[in-house]
Amino acid sequence: MAQQQNVSFRGGPGRGMGTPVEKPAAMKDTLKRLFSYFGSEKVYVLILILCVTAGVLCGSFAPRMQSSAIDSVVRGSFSQLPRLLTIMLILYLLSAAAVLLQGLISARLSRNITGKLRNDLFDKIVHLPVSYLDGHSHGDLMSRMTNDAENVSNIISQSLSSLFSGVLTLVVTLIMMLSYNVPLTLLTCSTVVLTLLATRFLSAKMRLYYVKRQELLGKVNSTVEEMVSNCRTVAAYNLQEESVKDFEQTSDALKKTGIIADILGNAMGPVMNSLSNITFVIVAVFGAWFAIHGYISVGVISAFIIYSKQFSRPINELAQLYGQIATALAGAERIFAVLDEKSEDFSGEPKLGKVNGVVEFSHVNFSYEPGKQVIYDFNLKVEAGKKIALVGSTGCGKTTIVNLLMRFYEPDSGTITVDGTDITKISRHALRDAIGIVLQDAILFSDTVRANLKYADASISDEKMLESARLASCDTVADALPDGYDSFLASAGAGLSQGQKQLLTIGRAFLSYPYILILDEATSSVDTRTEQNIQDAMARLMKGRTSLIIAHRLSTILDADQIVVMDKGHIVETGTHSELLAKKGQYYSLYMTQFAGNAT
Amino acid sequence: MKTIFPYVRKYLGFAFLASLFMILEVSVDLLQPGMMAAIVDKGILGLGNGGQPDIPLVVSTGIRMILLVIAGGACGLLSAVFSNFTGQSCGNDLRKACFSRIMHLSHQQTDDFTTGSLITRITNDISQVQSLVMQVIRGVIRCLMLFVGGSYALLSLNLSFTVVVAIAFPIILLYIIFVLRKTSPLFLILQERIDHVNSIIQENITGARVVKSFIQEDREQARFGKANQDLTDTQFQVSVLLSFMRPVMNIVLNCATIAIIWIGSIQVREGSLEPGSIMAAITYISQILNGILMLVMIFQTVTRGMVSGKRVEEILLSEPELKDGSVTEGDPQADSVVFDHVSFAYPGTGRTILRDISFSLRPGETLAVIGSTGCGKTTLINLIPRFYDATEGTVSVAGADVRLWNKAALRNKISVCIQKSELFNRTIAENIRLGDRNASDEAVKEAAKAAQADSFITDMPDGYETMVAQGGMSLSGGQRQRVAIARALLRKSDILIFDDSTSALDLKTEAALHTTLRRDYKDVTRIIVAQRIASVMDADRILLLDNGQISAMGTHDELLAGSALYRSICDSQQSSRQKGGV
Repeated sequence: MAQQQNVSFRGGPGRGMGTPVEKPAAMKDTLKRLFSYFGSEKVYVLILILCVTAGVLCGSFAPRMQSSAIDSVVRGSFSQLPRLLTIMLILYLLSAAAVLLQGLISARLSRNITGKLRNDLFDKIVHLPVSYLDGHSHGDLMSRMTNDAENVSNIISQSLSSLFSGVLTLVVTLIMMLSYNVPLTLLTCSTVVLTLLATRFLSAKMRLYYVKRQELLGKVNSTVEEMVSNCRTVAAYNLQEESVKDFEQTSDALKKTGIIADILGNAMGPVMNSLSNITFVIVAVFGAWFAIHGYISVGVISAFIIYSKQFSRPINELAQLYGQIATALAGAERIFAVLDEKSEDFSGEPKLGKVNGVVEFSHVNFSYEPGKQVIYDFNLKVEAGKKIALVGSTGCGKTTIVNLLMRFYEPDSGTITVDGTDITKISRHALRDAIGIVLQDAILFSDTVRANLKYADASISDEKMLESARLASCDTVADALPDGYDSFLASAGAGLSQGQKQLLTIGRAFLSYPYILILDEATSSVDTRTEQNIQDAMARLMKGRTSLIIAHRLSTILDADQIVVMDKGHIVETGTHSELLAKKGQYYSLYMTQFAGNAT
Repeated sequence: MKTIFPYVRKYLGFAFLASLFMILEVSVDLLQPGMMAAIVDKGILGLGNGGQPDIPLVVSTGIRMILLVIAGGACGLLSAVFSNFTGQSCGNDLRKACFSRIMHLSHQQTDDFTTGSLITRITNDISQVQSLVMQVIRGVIRCLMLFVGGSYALLSLNLSFTVVVAIAFPIILLYIIFVLRKTSPLFLILQERIDHVNSIIQENITGARVVKSFIQEDREQARFGKANQDLTDTQFQVSVLLSFMRPVMNIVLNCATIAIIWIGSIQVREGSLEPGSIMAAITYISQILNGILMLVMIFQTVTRGMVSGKRVEEILLSEPELKDGSVTEGDPQADSVVFDHVSFAYPGTGRTILRDISFSLRPGETLAVIGSTGCGKTTLINLIPRFYDATEGTVSVAGADVRLWNKAALRNKISVCIQKSELFNRTIAENIRLGDRNASDEAVKEAAKAAQADSFITDMPDGYETMVAQGGMSLSGGQRQRVAIARALLRKSDILIFDDSTSALDLKTEAALHTTLRRDYKDVTRIIVAQRIASVMDADRILLLDNGQISAMGTHDELLAGSALYRSICDSQQSSRQKGGV
């Protein structure tokens, strides 16, 4: 219950429920780094500490006043009562003020620090090399950004001051009790051992089931995600009943684990309640005995009753906090692991000026994974202002060439130059600024058509945008939408057809006026007539500029100045269309299959 | 919440048991201060014993109290068991009902909800509803008991304490109403802002290459920074509002305590009250106020839960748009597919995508559909397996209107390979076998061979047992398409539809696929949407679609002779024949 009452803002699944407790590996370093985020907030941290201290002190002295007040009632000396009650009132007001301030400061700290942490993490992700993103699960990165950051935020906003005041309350209460009576204090503490044992046992069991529940929850999530995003296939193949059955199995398992986990969580309350009552009886029995023998007054017993409650609460809380803090630290550790990844290196020549567009690959070898070479001794010189085409079967390494030219990946050996300069000497920004690219997967952003087209530079005029749109034949796409260029593309253009998305990405690339243009299967879903219009437009737009085109459809590349035929990472033929046809090699047979249809 | 209530009703018996045990537990809690007072008054102060503490009384009452507390704890635990069972079972039933409903939504409905929102609703929102159910069962009853019982016990101690309750209660009530009215709209905003932040992250991870090649890292940072700022600001607002909650409640509680000591002391002086009763009164008043404080927390859960409940309800209330029919067997002699004056507009847009389309296909005939981007080819295809219903006219399959068909039977007759190959996170063999669950390993291999996929699959280290990553991302575009084609071919259905599903195949592979289809799938009615003339020229008939209308229909030669548009498409692809002189 206590955990569910904490308001949590996590977007992910399992919100407000117990999250699995993970053991952070390098707790000390992580803590140190996390504390460094508090650097600019030093003043507030100090005030927070003061508030907590004040709150705890007031909260501990007030029962003392209360016991004196009751004592004086018992003794019948009512004259002191107004004074005592006034002090009590002041103490309680102070403590409330301290609690309020504490809450406000925690909220502020949480806002600033999690905000900064999330920004840092995002900045990192934006600058991570493509190779990192290709090699890591996107779901995992997402969960670091959302769940882990949220866990850290929760310890800052909620647990930090609880932890503080918990420890402080324990110490102060202990001192207070000791100052009254040592033997009774020791007796009160005797049940602490029991409390500790109970928490330990329960939290170990809980951890087990929380982890299991989290796994099942993940499975439920991924099933829903997969089935919903593939809903067309599910419908076409009548897979509904089968997937429902699959889902129900997981869902039922989740329910069973969830019930056990929650019952264990709920058991904490009654167990603690019983233990604290046992403490009460112990205090009462021995207190009475001490009172009979005149060691203490009755007021002290009433104070001890309050103290014994005050004593068991923070222990209970700290036991629960331990789990939260450990989870959050593990989260922080995962965040820092991403922050420690190497960013892309943007050093090198920062400005290129005018680029002629001479691109040369010499003796380039490349493998994504060691031992699995993809590109073998690739040599190619592209003259300035020429149109080069790469053809070859799927998986022959065409897209890899683009990855290398954009410096998304670095070759194992060999060099690539632009206008004679080794591209490793040019900063990635300057290099990419000179190159425009349209990728195989047409990726748009959830924004207006206008913002998507003007992606390279929002300050470009509308006239230029309209011209580019016309050239890329994507004006028809925009015109067909209800609000034209101001139509919002929800879910990154989910409502558009593949071909329409491709046209928009081409328009976007045209509008960046690159010196070198790369089209990687950019028109595969576009009909051939529209494609030809685009090509005619490109011929004008790219006059004097270099373009590199990858395509399966030979009609796309017929008029290229040079056609490079690739096979399994090697160049097998180069030449113009007619030269290659005359050779009657691989290109010839590709060409014949396309236009003769069945001549294999 | 009307739609959700039946899911709770099923477990009402357990909810009742949970409440019952909760009542027992709270009763124990309420008895406790009275016993404590007895221990203090009679035992320690020895009020019935001439001022001498009575240790045997303390011990015997103490033991009774401990036993009672343990019994109460057991009741509490049982109450937790039953309420958890109720909550989780309701949640589970809701989750299953939602999933099943989602699986039967039309494409239009799925698109309208958006995938992301459906996922959030079925996971996040349902767990909110679940905790609402549990909170109501346990919390509300507990609070009411604590409040009513505590007030009763307090007032039965001494009527003069009424004043304290009468002043404290309205203050707290007003304050709670104030805070709730402030926070509940914030929760909605909070939810939207979380969605926004998440979607920006998602886009930047999947679109990293685009961001990098346009060097827009700074812009994306700024965009995220703003969304992040909005989110943290809202979180801050909520936290601030909630920060006031505890101190205010504490002040009221503590003032009440002081008032009770004051009023009590006067009564003690008059001799109408025993000192132990003051302590009991303090305990009761804190129980009352704690009950109210808990109620605040519960109201928060309830507010959030209601918002979520509505979102879940929207799924459950979305009626399948397409009513199912009863035809399960078509007429094998009838035309395979018939379009009779079909027009179509996407609901709500009013923009007509297809206009007056009429044609019919004999069994075993091959129809190719060609036309420019956005002219309605995919829409036309979608009407055959009844992904959408025509706005006007009728589409018939095997002699029966598709609206009269049993949907499952209809879709069993049809294999569709959609434009975007959707693969599942299973092995390649399992992905292919989705076409026919009972297919043998040989049949799977045959289908893969026909789809020109066998060679690349066997080249993989684990062959057919290779796991496909989510969304098929571990395969190249061409490989994905071939696995999807193999799945469609395994189906052995009467009608085979390829919706531009060979666009990522190289020419040779595509040609080999078409040769195989012509040879081995002669009796199957084929509909092929394509861009390349080479893919369509051998079809029995070619349907040329232009701006939603049939521009021309006939064989390749007929169209070459009769359609200028078709000729220009051919020219766009074969211009080199003149240029290159072949």
